[in-house]
Amino acid sequence: MKLAIIGGGPSAFYVASRLHKLLPQTLDYRIHLFDRLWSPHGLVRYGVAPDHPEVKNCTHKFDEAALDRRLRFFGNVNVGDNPSPLQHTVKLPLSSIFSNYSHVVFATGCTLPKRHSELPPSASCISALSMVHWYTQHPNAPSPPPLDKLSHVSLIGNGNVSLDVARMLLTNVDVLRKYDVPERVLDVLAESTVKHVSIVGRRGPLEAAFTMKELREMINLPDASMVPLAPELLQPSEGVPLTRQQTRVLQLLSKGSKNTFGTTAKTWSLDFYRSPAGLMVPSSENTRSQLSLAHTVVDPATQRAVPTGETSTVATDLVVTSLGFHGEPTAPYFDPGLGHLRTLSNRIVTNAGTTLRNVYGSGWASAGAHGVLAATMMNAYDVAETIVNDHMKHGGRDESRPVAGGDTGGAQN
Amino acid sequence: MFTTPARLFLRSLKTLRPTAAFRSANLAPCARRTMHSSMVRYHAGIERPAPGTGIKIHFNDSKGTLIKTVEANEGDDILAVAHEYDIDLEGACEGSVACSTCHVILPEDKYDLLPEPEDDENDMLDMAFGLTDTSRLGCQVKLTKALDGMVVTLPAATRNMFVDGA
Repeated sequence: MKLAIIGGGPSAFYVASRLHKLLPQTLDYRIHLFDRLWSPHGLVRYGVAPDHPEVKNCTHKFDEAALDRRLRFFGNVNVGDNPSPLQHTVKLPLSSIFSNYSHVVFATGCTLPKRHSELPPSASCISALSMVHWYTQHPNAPSPPPLDKLSHVSLIGNGNVSLDVARMLLTNVDVLRKYDVPERVLDVLAESTVKHVSIVGRRGPLEAAFTMKELREMINLPDASMVPLAPELLQPSEGVPLTRQQTRVLQLLSKGSKNTFGTTAKTWSLDFYRSPAGLMVPSSENTRSQLSLAHTVVDPATQRAVPTGETSTVATDLVVTSLGFHGEPTAPYFDPGLGHLRTLSNRIVTNAGTTLRNVYGSGWASAGAHGVLAATMMNAYDVAETIVNDHMKHGGRDESRPVAGGDTGGAQN
Repeated sequence: MFTTPARLFLRSLKTLRPTAAFRSANLAPCARRTMHSSMVRYHAGIERPAPGTGIKIHFNDSKGTLIKTVEANEGDDILAVAHEYDIDLEGACEGSVACSTCHVILPEDKYDLLPEPEDDENDMLDMAFGLTDTSRLGCQVKLTKALDGMVVTLPAATRNMFVDGA
C-alpha cells in the first residue's frame, strides 16, 4: 500500500496513526503526507488560540506516528491545479499523485471563511479567519487589525471562533505573554484601545454553536464584564426538551459574568436575535461605521431565524465575521451544494455519482467544518478502518491504482 | 528493518536563548522569551503492582464484553491505567481536561462514590459521544480501594458521529 494523504493536519495524522496500528507490522507500506504549508499540523498550529496550549498536546501523538520511517511529510507542496495562496509552494499535479500511489486520502479541511451577503470585505469588515491567521502568524501573513484605532468591535457569529477572537481582544496582554503568542502580535495587542466587543448572533442562546468551555472562559475573564442578559432571553420554550449542554449554557448565562457589569473598563455582550442587514462604512458625515441589524425570532417549525421587521443601528469600529468555513470550490470532488468534498462512507464520490476505488475523504474536507479534535479523531479512525477493510477485501494487493474518475468537478487537470 | 514507533517521550520546559549576539544600530536586542510547553502529564508508564496486591479494574467494550482485567495502584487515573495496559482509550489532550476522548462509563454504585466532577470536566463531558448519567473523563478518576473490582466501560464509536454530532 502506498498512500498519499493530501493535507497534513490533525485528520491526516490521525488517519496515519490509526493505520500504523491496524496494518500488519510486517507490511512494507508507505504513508506520505503533503501540505501546502511548510509545517504540519494544520489548525492545531494555525487555528487553536495561543492561550489553549493543552489542546495542542495532540501533536505528541502525531510526532509518534511520524517517527515510523514508513511515514514521510512533504511541506510546501500544493497538490492540484488550484493556484496556491502562497507564492513559494511547489506545484504537484493531482495526476502525479494518482499515478504514483495506490491509495489517496483528501484531508484538506475547509479553508475558506463563509462570508455574509450584507457584509462585503472592506477596511471596516474582516473575517475572523484573518484575525486567527494574524495571532497565530500563519504564512498567509494578513495585516494586523488596527487595534489602536478601535474601541468597539462587532463579531458576527456565535461559534467558538467568535469567542476565541473576543477572548484574545479582552485578555490583558501580560496574561497572553505567558503563552506562545508571537512578539509582533503582543506589540499590537499592547496598543489596543478596544473597550467593548459585541458578539452578534441571529438566533438565541439555545441555538448558539459555542460550547461551555469557551463560554465559561468569557464569563470568567479577569479584565472584562458581560452586559447582563434580559431574563426573557434565558427562558426555554414550553415543552421543548433541552440537551445537557443547553441547560448548562442557560444556567451560566443567567449567573452573569464573574465581574459585575460596570466594574471593569472592558466589556462584552451577547447580542442574540440580531442579523446584519448592512454596514455603512465611515464617511465625511460619520467617523464610525454604522451596522444595521434586523431583529429576528426563531421559527419553531424550521428552527431558522426569521426577521420581525424591526431594525436597529449600532455604531462600531470594526466588524469581524465568524460564520464558519467551506472547502475550496475549485478543489477536485468539491460539491458546491455541500461546501465540502462529496463522500459516502468515507469514499470519494464523483460528480457523476460513482464511488472511486481507493480514494477517500477525511475530516472537515469530507463532512464540513464541524467538530473539535475528538470528532475529527473518531472520523479519521473510521476512515482508517475503511481503508484497511477495503485493502484486505482485495487480498491486500496494492497493484490496483486509484482511478481519477473522469469528472472531478471545477476547472480540473 | 524499520524502527518500531517510539514511546511517548518527556518534554521539559526549555529556555530559548538567542544564539548570536547580533548587534546592529537598527535592531533592538532579541527579547528573552521562554518557550511555552504544556506539562506532559504522563510518563512512560505507571508502575504495575505485584499481581494480587493492586486495585482490580475490568475494562469492557461498549457491548459489555471484557477486554482485559488489570491491576493498578491507589491514585492512578483510569486513562494512565488504560495506556499502561494498551487498552484502546484515547487521551488527545493528555489529561488536561481539554478534550473528551478519554470518556468512560462507570457502574452507578462506583460512580456515586467519586467526588463530583468540577466545572471544567463537566464542560468537556457535554461534548462526549454517548454520554450517560454515570460518565466521567478517565483522566479525572483516581483509583481508590473502594473502586476495587470496578467495571469501566468504553463508549461505542460510531461511523455517523462525525456527521450527526455538533
